[in-house]
Amino acid sequence: MTKAMLGIVIALAVLIATPYGAAAGELLSGPLAKLDIKAAVVEKGGVPKGTLTTAQHFGLSPKWLDPQEQIAALTQQHYEYIVHDALIKTMPQGLFTYSLAEHAEILADFTKAAFRLRPGLSFHDGTALTTADVKWCYENYRGVNAKTFKENTERIEVVDDRTLIFHFNKPFLDFMTLYNGDSTGIGWVVPAAYYQKVGPDGFKSHPIGAGPFKFVSQEVGVQMVFEAWDAYWRKTPGVKKLVVKGIGGPGGAATRLAGLKTGELDLAYGFTGKILPQVLNDPDLRWTPNFTAPWVLFFPNWEDSDSPFHDKRVRQAVSLAINREFLIHQETQGLGAPWGNWIGPEFDDILQLPIPEYNPDKARELLAEAGHPNGLQLDALIPFTPYLDMGERILADLAAVGIRGSLQTYDGPQYRGKRSRGRQGYDSKATILKSIAMTPGVAASAIRLFATCTSGASFICDERIEEHWKQYNASTDPEERKELSHAIQRIIIDDFLAIPLYINPFVHAVGPRVLPAGKAPSGEGFHKYWSSPQAPYPYPWEEWQVKE
Amino acid sequence: MMRFILNRAFYSLITLWLLVTIVFGFVRFTGDPTTMLEEVGDKAYVAQLREQWGLDRPYYVQYGKYMWGLLRGDFGNSFQKSLAVRDIYFERLPSSLKLGFAAFIISIVLGVPLGILSAMKVQTWWDNFGKVFAILGLSVPNFFIGLMLIVFFGVHLGWLPILGKGDSFWDWQHLIMPAFALGWYFSGNMVRITRSSMLEVMGSDYIKLVRLKGVPEWVVMAKHALKNAMIPIMTLAGLNLVIMVNVAIAIEVVFNWPGVGQLLFDGMSNRDFPMVQGVVLMGGMMIVVLNFAIDILYAYVDPRIRLSR
Repeated sequence: MTKAMLGIVIALAVLIATPYGAAAGELLSGPLAKLDIKAAVVEKGGVPKGTLTTAQHFGLSPKWLDPQEQIAALTQQHYEYIVHDALIKTMPQGLFTYSLAEHAEILADFTKAAFRLRPGLSFHDGTALTTADVKWCYENYRGVNAKTFKENTERIEVVDDRTLIFHFNKPFLDFMTLYNGDSTGIGWVVPAAYYQKVGPDGFKSHPIGAGPFKFVSQEVGVQMVFEAWDAYWRKTPGVKKLVVKGIGGPGGAATRLAGLKTGELDLAYGFTGKILPQVLNDPDLRWTPNFTAPWVLFFPNWEDSDSPFHDKRVRQAVSLAINREFLIHQETQGLGAPWGNWIGPEFDDILQLPIPEYNPDKARELLAEAGHPNGLQLDALIPFTPYLDMGERILADLAAVGIRGSLQTYDGPQYRGKRSRGRQGYDSKATILKSIAMTPGVAASAIRLFATCTSGASFICDERIEEHWKQYNASTDPEERKELSHAIQRIIIDDFLAIPLYINPFVHAVGPRVLPAGKAPSGEGFHKYWSSPQAPYPYPWEEWQVKE
Repeated sequence: MMRFILNRAFYSLITLWLLVTIVFGFVRFTGDPTTMLEEVGDKAYVAQLREQWGLDRPYYVQYGKYMWGLLRGDFGNSFQKSLAVRDIYFERLPSSLKLGFAAFIISIVLGVPLGILSAMKVQTWWDNFGKVFAILGLSVPNFFIGLMLIVFFGVHLGWLPILGKGDSFWDWQHLIMPAFALGWYFSGNMVRITRSSMLEVMGSDYIKLVRLKGVPEWVVMAKHALKNAMIPIMTLAGLNLVIMVNVAIAIEVVFNWPGVGQLLFDGMSNRDFPMVQGVVLMGGMMIVVLNFAIDILYAYVDPRIRLSR
């Protein structure tokens, strides 16, 4: 790969540093809000070489190729970063990084946002990418959070082929967070004319985008093949061909591992549990912990006075009973990261809290004080599917302090179906649910989902949190919002309304053909592929290189 | 004969209708697939999906629409994959047929001769070997066999590829291990049915008569015993073939083989009602058509059957 870098470092960082409420910008008149959007790093001149074969840990869906119908899962980004491109998106440079847009502004009252596209953009079929495509994508988007955009948007003004302005009918503070490629599909641009010509099904069968790779073919559910698009504006992809296979289900992890060992795969996701030591101990494989979010215990229906978990001392006893260090060792070979909050560390508004204490004696004392000198009987502990073994270990720790119970296991759809109903999904008042709070954007997204009374998926309904949350929604001051988010996080942890365990490593491994070459543990250079914040997968894909 | 065929066709259609109706009902007992999405907190999005997938309508309307679609050859669109179930199924079917037929041949080649040998040499070392082989075939899960083959021939020896079906339809290297792992289970089945069927035939009066006439033993076996013992063997083999084609889920998952079994697994994992309904219906249809053909064949070779029904 050529080292020649054109060095287009746009002075947006300086613009971003403009004080809140500064004078009018290039595109909008009026005071502007502070934006922290990083400049894109543009490189040209490379030659794509070789084939990168990756394995997803479940069956593939053509739906993921269509951002217009973005699903509510982080998986879709994996494919959007291959075929499509967004105005702004998460890149190694930052959570918000310029991509198709070279400049953005938003008014300080959050009623208008404007973008200017880079010059000379096009789609894979050679047609020009203009603001008309951006407008069409916005107006026709029907994926997750579509209603939020429609309700907040008054109109879109296309100033010219490269400039457009969004007019909102009320302050739309979350616009940039949601418009960023992470949270919804609305910011990813597809060719409007082609999409309308072939229809949604035709588009899913053969998508065209503006991303670094062109779609070549798919065997629905099993394999997708892409090839490098030399004309990609940011960087010529490092690999000529990118193959994604779907290898999930029972035995899937063993097959993915075998694929890495035989060289049929170069990158595979999702090594946990019993298969993990084999990955870690193989001298030919390199791996990255790929930390996701903390495991957390919830107490569905703790608000009811007849729940044993209504008493803070019992909830605290649960936290004190768990030997997190041992759990991390047994479950993750020591890779799991201790963490004191129930939301992951990669958020701008996250609060760093001390690691919870392990003290079974104190747990027994608290149980006795709470009126359970002989311990108490759980109705069930519901482990996160498929991490069922971990549930047994937690039960053993709880039993040691007198909290007795058994596992209640569900298959994946059942677990997700029940959890998505929050506390209403569980009749019992003496149940502990093991879960994980993975929501992109800001920590407040997880709070809204799991800790507010009106959310259908909530496990926490507390007056103090509601008061803070009301203020949070009414505020247009980002700093005040951050403080309110912190206050809520502190209440949840201090009152043991959610019990953090440790940050789950979702180990990804690469085979020997991945460059830079090297063997574990010395070949650390490959970690660069995992440098995008909050990204569960190693994009941007144009960075990857393999031996021919 | 025509009356018999029409009669059997009518019963086949009733069977298919019952199958479609039962599967339609059962998948809905598992719960609403959109509840898994409610967690994102975007109720409008969930409501939009419910409407798009027709789940907001009463069951009888959903059922009527589904049946009307089936009559036009439309299985509906997959919830998870968004495309037409029929198109996805028929894209996968050739791979499943290839794997199923290869496994079928392996099960016959291994199972039938060993079953015959067991029957001919009852209570000998051969018979015991056949019994043990049958028990292992039936009791060792095929995914375990698959993983062992992968570890030995794929990882350690590096002789065979382990993922997918290869680029060409005639790629045999990718086929060997999944076909063997799948055929292994059914070969155990074939040993048992061949042995018992042969023993039953060999105990019959006409075989004793043939032997008394001094016919050589190999002729007794090949011409008189095996020919008559083959009816139940081939019936079972036919059903096995349909199962191998349609529900080789574990093998397809382990070897990343792009067959219809994986579609069924993905469908069940995601409450993808149209996909589960489509794959089960096609599998059921194959079984019904096969049984229909066997019934007609029986009636053709044995007039007593068509006269008695």
